[in-house]
Amino acid sequence: MHAIKFKNLVLAMLTLAVNVADAREPKGFLETIHHHITLASTVADNGDDNPYALIVAPVSAGKIHKNDVLMDNFNRISNLQGTGTTIMDYNPATKEITTFADLPPNVPGCPGGIGLSTAMVMLKSGWVIVGSTPSTDGTTRTMGPGGLLVLDSNGNLVETWANTNINDPWGNIAAIDNGTNAILFVSMAGLDVPGPGVRDPQTGRPVIVNKATVLRIELSIPEGKPPVITGQTVVANGFGQRADKDAFLVGPTGLALGLNDTLYVSDALGNQIVAIPDASTRTNSAGTGVVVTKDGLLKRPLALTTAPNGHLLAINALKGQVVEIDPASGKQLYAQWIDADQAQQPPGNGDLFGIAMTPDGKAFYYVEDDMNTLMEAMR
Amino acid sequence: MWILFRLLCLVFVAIFSINTAFATPPTLTASQFQPTTNETISPFGFVNGISRSGYLLGDLWGLRPWLSQYGMSLNISETSEVLGNPTGGVHHGADYDGLTQMSLQLETEKAFHLYGGTFNVSALQIHGRNLSADNLDSLQTASGIEADRATRLWELWYQQKFLEEDRMDVKIGQQSLDQEFMVSQEALLFVNTMFGWPALPSYDMPGGGPAYPLSTLGVRLRARPINSLTFLGGVYSGNPAPDTNPDPQKANPSGVSFPMDGVLAIAELQYSYPSLGSMVSADQSSSLSGTYKIGAWYDSLKFADNAYNSISEHQGNYAFYAVMDQMIWSDPNDPDSDRTINFFARAMGTPLEDRNLLDFSMNAGFTFHEPFRNRDDDTFGIGMGYAKVSNGIADYDRDYNLNNPGSPVPVQSGETFVEVTYQYALTPWCTLQPDFQYVFNPGGGLPNPNAAGQRIKNEAVIGIRANIIF
Repeated sequence: MHAIKFKNLVLAMLTLAVNVADAREPKGFLETIHHHITLASTVADNGDDNPYALIVAPVSAGKIHKNDVLMDNFNRISNLQGTGTTIMDYNPATKEITTFADLPPNVPGCPGGIGLSTAMVMLKSGWVIVGSTPSTDGTTRTMGPGGLLVLDSNGNLVETWANTNINDPWGNIAAIDNGTNAILFVSMAGLDVPGPGVRDPQTGRPVIVNKATVLRIELSIPEGKPPVITGQTVVANGFGQRADKDAFLVGPTGLALGLNDTLYVSDALGNQIVAIPDASTRTNSAGTGVVVTKDGLLKRPLALTTAPNGHLLAINALKGQVVEIDPASGKQLYAQWIDADQAQQPPGNGDLFGIAMTPDGKAFYYVEDDMNTLMEAMR
Repeated sequence: MWILFRLLCLVFVAIFSINTAFATPPTLTASQFQPTTNETISPFGFVNGISRSGYLLGDLWGLRPWLSQYGMSLNISETSEVLGNPTGGVHHGADYDGLTQMSLQLETEKAFHLYGGTFNVSALQIHGRNLSADNLDSLQTASGIEADRATRLWELWYQQKFLEEDRMDVKIGQQSLDQEFMVSQEALLFVNTMFGWPALPSYDMPGGGPAYPLSTLGVRLRARPINSLTFLGGVYSGNPAPDTNPDPQKANPSGVSFPMDGVLAIAELQYSYPSLGSMVSADQSSSLSGTYKIGAWYDSLKFADNAYNSISEHQGNYAFYAVMDQMIWSDPNDPDSDRTINFFARAMGTPLEDRNLLDFSMNAGFTFHEPFRNRDDDTFGIGMGYAKVSNGIADYDRDYNLNNPGSPVPVQSGETFVEVTYQYALTPWCTLQPDFQYVFNPGGGLPNPNAAGQRIKNEAVIGIRANIIF
């Protein structure tokens, strides 16, 4: 009798323990993040500032060590947007930050000059590809179509890609990298965008041009030679894009690959995340894709990354928050303030841009372009 | 001249490399300065992009990038304004006044690979005349840049961050307390002095306190035990100027007297929402940000007694204060907008009426960011200030009248003003700010020296201020 009671008691305790464990199971990734550490200033030796792109090196090559964090600067020291020419390299092991590349302000084959954008990737073969969305007066009035620049792992420019499909590469690059070949997804957000002085009479804001695209670029990477473009397909188009006095340009900015060959795109002006199915194989454009989630906690979503649980993390431009989204259900779980600086209103407004997961998937890097700092958000 | 400046900068780097293990600043050679852009090499290159540049003079012909490689940044700005009083005051008229500020900062991370260190030196060039002194005789002076004409050192300090997540930092050196203590972020929009450094310490602290254009030696600790709470505490010299002249600015005319006299201790606790790392659930309505501060200060020096014909002194002085900045509205109808309305208030009081001119002062007001759609960087503000003359001073006036029945003076009470202002962002480096103030009971009821037996009449002040960042 007593033995049965004792057994029941043990079972009840085990059940309770399991339930408690279930209750403590995090429903998402962001709630596990509790610390936000300033790692380094991202200001270059020449004074370039306003960090946009943020990636983690997949391999060691040349000056870059595996797991280094690369960031580029969009502004020259006078704070003119679309004129930054530098890529910074932060080494988490030594905590040192160095200038990886300092490009000249004008490069043959890159129309409009150099203004390094959020588009950047490092391939396993060691090549670094970075986008230029250039301007000469800090506005889209003088914006050129720019291009994609290929750098070797020592920061030397070796190739420039510019063609009719490549028009102001803007958002963070999503990539499928198989070593000898790779597929890149790059958003293009500059086609026919006038200067910020050209206003929509209805809204009074700079006119919106629904011509932004997402371009798939297929690469072949010969041994010891720069990658070669073997194919280009516009897999999405029709996104809104417009000039912005403070942010230079607003358009599709975040790209992240999910399950089932789905590409997720942050449509900043639409204040939504959309899905592009069959991203690596489709032969036509999916238009503006399928809406995954819209509004709610989103406040002009920018860069995207994928957490280990498969959820999307979207940076908000107009509020210092990152939003976690379950792409399967389209549910927004919650947001976390990662920049609560009340010098801006709302706090952190306009400060955030790039985001990248750390290699162990337990934390993420982000940049604050008001302070020009590289940050790490961790457990 | 430019070469001389570069050499000075190099000396600056060298000085602060002493005793630093990492200190090996590169020596200056002509080849290190290589202009690379049109902005740098053309005398008028800065004109390109002038409408969106952060500075009127762009990269200063390559000087800014050159400094940047050593972790240094240079800021030069000019504030110029014309203010006039068409009604009230002791005279009518208008005055021009201006302030040129220059600061040089060095980040030790870049200069010496020492994380979290900042060295700062700043100087002021104050020019023009003071409307408040010339025409108004108000307690709450009309402009925050009014000061004696001078060229003076302002701040000279080193700050070092400590602990994980930068949870503590220490600042040591010559500091101006109005840059960190008692600050209402939203109140800084306004032109009147008392939206910056409040009225009570301006009159009750020795020398007006270590605030613009003065500063004082001391040590300040800032700690953030949890992200929503910040503690700020400092110990400074009790007087920013030596007792050699009744006018503290004349007693310390260049800002290099570095007097050490008594102790000023100040502490402030700050609460802010949202805090870094706080979570927002999907169904949570958007909450509005805010900052709340409480603090107190104590000065150990001796203070003269307010009583009529008294020659006694009191040991020490103190006051308590509270500050709030609260967003009260954020445009819900336009997700692509950052239009907000904020309320701010600040109050400070002391029970020590026997030694202080003021026993209470306060400010309050509203600011409206982007008041007109698509004027993102404009701000409209309406605010007020009140300064109450202490009963000790009022009793002095009464006793004076009892003892001097033939030449009575008005018994001072309080002074109130309202201000309406609009800051128009012409470019990122230039703002224009038309301003209107109206002062009730100027000086708390001071007699008008130009009209026997009358108090100074209420004053209307109008003007315009321009801020330019070079």
